[in-house]
Amino acid sequence: MATGSRPAKRDEVVDVLIIGAGPSGSVAAKHLAQAGMSVVTLEQGHMPDRNDFPGRKPEWELVTQKQWHPNPNFRDRPRDYPINTDESDVHPLMFAGVGGSATIYAGHWTPFLPSDFRVKSLDGVADDWPFSYEELLPDLETVEREVGVSGLPGNPAYPPKMSYPTPPLPIGKVGRKAAECMDKMGWHWWPGTNAIPSLPYNGLNACVRRGTCMSGCPEGAKSTTDITYWPHAIKAGARLVTGARVREIEVDDRGLATGAIYIDEHGRERRQKAHTVIVCANGIGTPRLLLLSKSKHFPDGLANSSGLVGKRLMMHPFSAVMATFDEDLESWRGPFGQNIASFEFYETDESRGFVRGAKWGAMPAGGPLGATSFVGTKVFTDPNAKVEDMWGPHFHDMVERRFGHTMVWGIIGEDLPEESNEVMLDDELVDTDGIPAPKLKYKVSDNSEKMLKFHEDRVLEAMQAGGAIETSVVHQMADTGWHLLGTCLMGDDPKKSVVNRWGQTHDVPNLFVFDGSTFPTSGGLNPTATIMSVALRQTRHMIAERRNQEAA
Amino acid sequence: MAAKIDEKGRDAFAAFADLLIPAHKKMPSASSVGVAGPLLDEVLRLRPDLQEDFMRGLDAITGEKAGAAANALYKDDEAAFNAMSLVASAAYYMTPQAREALGYPGQESLTYDAHAVPGYMTDGMIERVTRRGAIYKSTPH
Repeated sequence: MATGSRPAKRDEVVDVLIIGAGPSGSVAAKHLAQAGMSVVTLEQGHMPDRNDFPGRKPEWELVTQKQWHPNPNFRDRPRDYPINTDESDVHPLMFAGVGGSATIYAGHWTPFLPSDFRVKSLDGVADDWPFSYEELLPDLETVEREVGVSGLPGNPAYPPKMSYPTPPLPIGKVGRKAAECMDKMGWHWWPGTNAIPSLPYNGLNACVRRGTCMSGCPEGAKSTTDITYWPHAIKAGARLVTGARVREIEVDDRGLATGAIYIDEHGRERRQKAHTVIVCANGIGTPRLLLLSKSKHFPDGLANSSGLVGKRLMMHPFSAVMATFDEDLESWRGPFGQNIASFEFYETDESRGFVRGAKWGAMPAGGPLGATSFVGTKVFTDPNAKVEDMWGPHFHDMVERRFGHTMVWGIIGEDLPEESNEVMLDDELVDTDGIPAPKLKYKVSDNSEKMLKFHEDRVLEAMQAGGAIETSVVHQMADTGWHLLGTCLMGDDPKKSVVNRWGQTHDVPNLFVFDGSTFPTSGGLNPTATIMSVALRQTRHMIAERRNQEAA
Repeated sequence: MAAKIDEKGRDAFAAFADLLIPAHKKMPSASSVGVAGPLLDEVLRLRPDLQEDFMRGLDAITGEKAGAAANALYKDDEAAFNAMSLVASAAYYMTPQAREALGYPGQESLTYDAHAVPGYMTDGMIERVTRRGAIYKSTPH
């Protein structure tokens, strides 16, 4: 299905073809179209309909465990592609559709910190980025105004910057209690910054604290690019083709990209030609597509002369700490963004036995069905217990104790890149169009293990200081691969990286990658703010250099 | 399409659900709020992936005493037990009666004044954070 101000023309060669309409592809489409370039975006999913989101319905909790589960292997919708995770400690989470996986994200808005761009210089590990926090800041501030971020300015975890376009969301009783715990310890906390506006903004409604953010916002109050970017992009002339699954990027005899072959939702093979191609299909989809695009010029996959396409996958090992209090925290209420965040232990302190750190985010705990499980992990797992020990009056007492009284802290630890963590093509598994599916090899590192344990212990200290009556930890949860980064490394040396500092592949001058695949390091926080900012930086450079761009 | 469940099966599920979710303090029992009635069909329609395990479990417990059957199922066929217990608890918390007894209004829409000054701005809590100063590491530009 095509959407846009101009009808599709067979064999039209557009200025730019973008593959993927998630956060990064949407930023590129809007800004390129507004600069007067002809743009077509191919998206394998569809435009979301907020009436489909289950948050207003009584079965909300029930269907979030299946049809709205973030793991595509478990959710198994027709537009999802399968992923072989047999050899992966973390399961990737994503969503196919306009707006991308942000459709089901929690909207935590946490830009990378200055140190995240300089881990080699500061800590002697991984790589520095080819640009700095300060160089990216103007792009971040533009993106924050387009996204409609809510937050309180002045966070001492960051250098001074422009204030947010809407005031902070209410932190609620959960946030207040979490802040009191941090306050008792004398530790950093700050009201959560979220891609969820507190006032109507750029097509978004104000958040009404429904608390169902992670199954799509039925209020149209969580910032996703189907609302905040695509109306502008289409008005500027960009065309959006949904239900379009790309199977190959084509090249000519000179080794320049000429466009892509895709399968439409009726199973027909189609071709979109373009002078320039930008891939924005996330840290798994992007290397998958490059590896699928083998040719005589590129027998090891497109833009893969370094051998690094698919390598250095980072997914952020994640732990959760649950804390229950006597007080009524109304902890089913949203936003299910972050009520407060803490960066107290974000920077490296080598005395802890590991390098780098983690961001903590305090969130509500959901409805009563969620109180019988813990972030997808069943509580009732004792194989030697009797049913009556776990259910019956004990069940009621447990729900009464936890429901409304519980907060969940999410710990996102920095995932350092390792070439042994990689995305490759599976030999047998295919998607519904018969295209080879990706396979992951991913092991949580010793550094990450130590980091998570340290942070879990600190969160527990704070919760106990604040009077928690019950705590539990889910260490390194498997279904937490929200952040898919690093698999098309950005760098200055063509032998040691896939793209240059502007997202241009070293091997194919008119092929670009603008998504989180290019990140040299992962930070220890939610990356969407930085993914969109980097996409804007690269897009602005592409516009500035448009007359010098080599094309097929 | 949800499988047809006869009266005998519904009775068995009601007994199973009441073992798991009995009347207790302010909370009603599962069967009293109708989890074995049309709501059961609705839950299985919403989650067709649960049907196979649920029906296998239901076959195993039908005609047996609820306590012994539930424990045997938990021991011998955990997937079936999990499907049945999820159907029971999900159906239960979808009912207005259970929600009202628990004090859960559902995921509701709330209004607030986004320009109101939050308590942490006036009671010193945020000031204590800012007074401790910047905590980020500066980097060479």
